[in-house]
Amino acid sequence: MKHPDLQKRNKTMDTRKRNCVTLHDMERKLQRADRKQASLYLFCNFISLMLISAYAAMMFSPTVLDILPEGGDSRKQMYAIFVLSLFGCVVFTIYAASLFFRKKSRQLGILMALGASRRRLAPGLFGEVFALSASSSVLGILAGFPFVWLLWNGFRLFLVDSEEMALRFDFRCLLVSLLFLFIVIAFSCLTAWRYLKKTNIMDVVQEEHKNEPVKELERWCGPAGVVILFAGAIIGYSAPGVYMNLFSAYPPGWINLLYAPVFLGLYMIMLHTVVHGWSRHRKHPHKNLIARSMMKFQGKQTVNNLLVSTVLIAGGCFGIFYIPIYSTGSILETSSRDYDYFFFSRADQNVPDRAEIENLASGYNLNLTDWQDHTYISLAYDGQKQVEEGRHFHYEYRLLLGECKIMSEDTYNAMTGNQVDVLPGTCYGITSTSQEDSFWISSGVTKFTNMCTMDSFNTKFAGFLHYDLTAGSNNSFYVVDNTDFAAMSQNLTGDWKGDLFFFNVDGEDNYDFARQLYLDFVHSFDASCEVIDAYDRVQKYADEQNGDVYWGDTDEMDKINYDQPDSTSFRMYWSYMPKIRILDQNDFLKSFAVFLMMFLFIAIICFTAALIICYTRCQTIALNNHYVFDDLKRLGASPQFLSREVRNQCGKVFTVPAAVGMTVTYLLFVMIMYANDGTLTGTEIVGLGVCLCVLLLIGVFIYGIYFKTLEKVRQQLEIR
Amino acid sequence: MLYVKNLHKSYMTGKKEYPVLKGVSFQIAKGEFVAVMGPSGSGKSTLLNCISCYIPFDKGEITLGGTRLVYLNEAELAKVRNEKLGFVFQDFMLLDGLTVRENILVPRIIQGKVDTEAEAFADKLMNLFGISHISDKYPAEISGGEKQRTAVARSLINDPYIILADEPTGNLDSKSSRTVIESFEHAKEVMNATIFMVTHDSFAASFCDRVILLKDGTVCRQLEKSGSRSAFQDELLTAIKEMSE
Repeated sequence: MKHPDLQKRNKTMDTRKRNCVTLHDMERKLQRADRKQASLYLFCNFISLMLISAYAAMMFSPTVLDILPEGGDSRKQMYAIFVLSLFGCVVFTIYAASLFFRKKSRQLGILMALGASRRRLAPGLFGEVFALSASSSVLGILAGFPFVWLLWNGFRLFLVDSEEMALRFDFRCLLVSLLFLFIVIAFSCLTAWRYLKKTNIMDVVQEEHKNEPVKELERWCGPAGVVILFAGAIIGYSAPGVYMNLFSAYPPGWINLLYAPVFLGLYMIMLHTVVHGWSRHRKHPHKNLIARSMMKFQGKQTVNNLLVSTVLIAGGCFGIFYIPIYSTGSILETSSRDYDYFFFSRADQNVPDRAEIENLASGYNLNLTDWQDHTYISLAYDGQKQVEEGRHFHYEYRLLLGECKIMSEDTYNAMTGNQVDVLPGTCYGITSTSQEDSFWISSGVTKFTNMCTMDSFNTKFAGFLHYDLTAGSNNSFYVVDNTDFAAMSQNLTGDWKGDLFFFNVDGEDNYDFARQLYLDFVHSFDASCEVIDAYDRVQKYADEQNGDVYWGDTDEMDKINYDQPDSTSFRMYWSYMPKIRILDQNDFLKSFAVFLMMFLFIAIICFTAALIICYTRCQTIALNNHYVFDDLKRLGASPQFLSREVRNQCGKVFTVPAAVGMTVTYLLFVMIMYANDGTLTGTEIVGLGVCLCVLLLIGVFIYGIYFKTLEKVRQQLEIR
Repeated sequence: MLYVKNLHKSYMTGKKEYPVLKGVSFQIAKGEFVAVMGPSGSGKSTLLNCISCYIPFDKGEITLGGTRLVYLNEAELAKVRNEKLGFVFQDFMLLDGLTVRENILVPRIIQGKVDTEAEAFADKLMNLFGISHISDKYPAEISGGEKQRTAVARSLINDPYIILADEPTGNLDSKSSRTVIESFEHAKEVMNATIFMVTHDSFAASFCDRVILLKDGTVCRQLEKSGSRSAFQDELLTAIKEMSE
């Protein structure tokens, strides 16, 4: 047993051993003590890097790039939302760094006040900042891949799976993550340097409790913001078209900057919301005064946070809207077809005939009804070709502009039950009932040319007829007078002639039959038909006559393969893709799995980032204003009063971005759909209705997160 | 020890300039315990911050132990703060992650001179101010008075020319205030420390040898203690009353 004095001495010795003796030891100890603050910074960086790395991993993934067409709208949307997410995450990490330094500044200031020179403090500070930024960023980047893997395979397990959904990575995506990592480290080091360079030490010490100076803000700021936002959306959307019309050139990339007023408008709306709020407060000028003032004096931070969350929520909505809009259109189109099965083929192909199909159907105990078969021909149509010279273009008349399909008026009348009389020397274009696809029909056509005899036939466009089954990109038909049709068909070979046949099944349809028929049909075509609907034999002929290589024969055009008849690209783009209701209904999700899941993924990333930013903002309300709430308690504020003040602030942090982001995106979608063809079709209205329901669901989800966050903040502020 | 001559300092708020010190001059001798008093906005804290080299001043001269501060660069100013000045702040400014003992040693740690002698001196200071029993505790675990006595001990660890104290009793109750002021007295008696204190508290100021009264950025009056502490406090109260009329 040791003597008590000896024990005491040993204890003192041990304690002294633990004492800091160097600046490095002291900094290490202080860093350990500040780990709570550092953990918030680590968390913010980690999440940002993880989300951006995950997004980049998917954006560069061959799984996605093989499906989303190059130059297509879906790919552009994916890139655009990525830019928004990147912007949001960069602002978030900057915010996290400034929060970290606000807390760190007191420690720095004390050490400066006690005589630590900047040179003495710099290595420790930069070391700490670098270690925190780099470690959190690297971990975030590394976590991005398992995150993607789990999420994507979660989709495959619980939602939809197909061969195309197999996840593949292109590790060039790491370049984006590394760029972000560099930004995070550079900004944190820059902030550290900025603090060290401050000449007023008292400013450094008091930084944590310093409020932002409040500048006078006119009450028109918010309403003006709304006007600017919508003006920006309209200008940004219409500018490329105006540019092309004015300058006969494709718009340069910078034209997208004309969307900038959208962000300015958003900023003004947020600023107005934070400084004035949208209710007048005339009757009760002191209502919510404390909450409003607390937000106002941290206005810059608050506005930045609200803006970023709004942009991310808008991006998320933009992504998720893709699914209902696309699905609704497809579901409505499929269910409204007049026939269960619709095929068209070339006369030189050995496709299954009626007897063979009936024989196959009998194997599945099915009887075919309402059978119809007709013929059509493929000719060249004339018109103005857009000739490109670099970015500029001009129009030149071409007799052989492109390939079109033509049917006789008898065929049209038999198919539709209408009695249309087409005058000789005229033609009609067939569109869907809503006529939204009329841009596939050239209304300026004046001549059709038989590609076998090269005889041309004058024609005059007489207007549009409607029939949904034969409308659409690869199915667009013209209808001509019977006599004209006969003359135009003279001496056409089988590859310029075609058959249309369609039928229903008696009773309930059978998926297996439909699938077998589809596969038989696909495999009955020869290699000359293994092309997408954009492949134009007339253009090919014209180009080759000019000694040019047709672009469809280069790698620029997407290729499809008979061996992958279930792939998205085959089902979307095959030149002779039939319309089979039961197949299209059952396989819709599978066929478009990558498309739909990618946009779901984008939405998840954006919403996660937005909600984490809102959550962190609420956390900082608790951290930064703890002393204000303590003072209010001392002044006798009841828990109900304090709860209301917290609710007012946290409520704004969640509701403003959610309301603005969702409303703006919704209205933007309405605008885009309306601007497409100058009207909202029935399908579009239904799609927008579904989007509204989706918004409600998102709203409920955001409310749930808000509610949980509020509870946490109340706990932190010890409001019971 | 400390000479302040014709000191001017203004703050800019937006484009408007607000002069706070308008030619302040005074001097403090070695071993003197001097307080600065004055109404809010008179420039007391600004004066202290200028002497502490925390904020740059516009015009004038501050000489500390023969060194003219205006000619020093950033690193030399840091050295002065570390070696020649000791600080006691209203809100203690202790580092929450360090123990009382470590907080006292911080100026020596910054200097890179924590040796046995420094540790023994820290122990001696803790004994002197009655905080030895809390040497291994963290600031969050001790009272306001103990925190301020820790800060006083820290201010003395480098045996500075002068201790600059900004409202050292401002956050304390009367009992703790008294122990802190007594700590200054101990420091003065035992270590012949020179102390320059900004305060609103006439009780705390009455312990000083001399009190400088500031008004609107200029030295309005200086009072020297000649009799008892309570008589000096009465004299101070009268002078403050006269100054505000």
